[in-house]
Amino acid sequence: MSALASSEKFRTFVVVFAIAGAALYVICDFAGLPLFTFHPATGRFEWGYTLPRRGEGPVMYWYGWTATTLIGAAILGGLATLLPAGVARKIPLFLIWLVPIGAIPLLVYSLMPFWTK
Amino acid sequence: MDFVFDYISVNTFWTILLIIHGLCAIALLGALTHQATAVLMPVRQAAGAFTERFRAVNSAAYATAVCVLWVITFIMGAWIYIKYRVYIRVPIERAGFWKTQGFFELKEHVATIGLALLPAYWFFWKNAKAPEYDSVRKWLTVFLAVACWFNFLVGHVVNNVRGFGS
Repeated sequence: MSALASSEKFRTFVVVFAIAGAALYVICDFAGLPLFTFHPATGRFEWGYTLPRRGEGPVMYWYGWTATTLIGAAILGGLATLLPAGVARKIPLFLIWLVPIGAIPLLVYSLMPFWTK
Repeated sequence: MDFVFDYISVNTFWTILLIIHGLCAIALLGALTHQATAVLMPVRQAAGAFTERFRAVNSAAYATAVCVLWVITFIMGAWIYIKYRVYIRVPIERAGFWKTQGFFELKEHVATIGLALLPAYWFFWKNAKAPEYDSVRKWLTVFLAVACWFNFLVGHVVNNVRGFGS
């Protein structure tokens, strides 16, 4: 673990993973991009975004959004490790906390039907 | 998992999971609150009063525990969410508690964003002696602490609306 904590490539990975994670999650929410849809009443999984089936209860997209976000952020983080160290070091670290803070109002807005009913 | 139901009822099983989820959340809340107060108001001399001792913890030592607790709490919450969606959310909506449900949805969003921040959080705390990371470490910790408090309070309210015994 201490090797990871001193690794320059791991530093690049975690920086990009954090920034991309928050951004991708908002994109998944707004664009409806779950990796899969889960039907909790029947335990059915379906790839991508699908609508509820008649007589099978509600559907859940949150698991799929989370999966898309983590996989997407891991891919982007992995690709970022290929950047030269000098370029990777130029990624502003404040984005790690600023992007998640910026994501919150957008996610609140995406829930507008709950606030206005 | 069905063998478990030979010994305890289905309701007891999910109640135990919910209690474990809550206990992990409380431990996480404590660790993150200690860290956040320590980075926002660092103690510069020997601790005396309770508030100073509260802030005078070895914050770096909490990092791995916070990550593990967040992941465990997240997994437990995600597991319980299956039953919540069918047996809790539907009655909440029928009762017209739309804002309560909205806050629960936001809680799930915040939990995932927090999950994605954990590797960075861990890395910057493992490099706690590097001054160039002081700012990002501080605000990342504060964000996670606020997120944890928000999620805890929302979960508590939702449990009050329709939790144990309902």
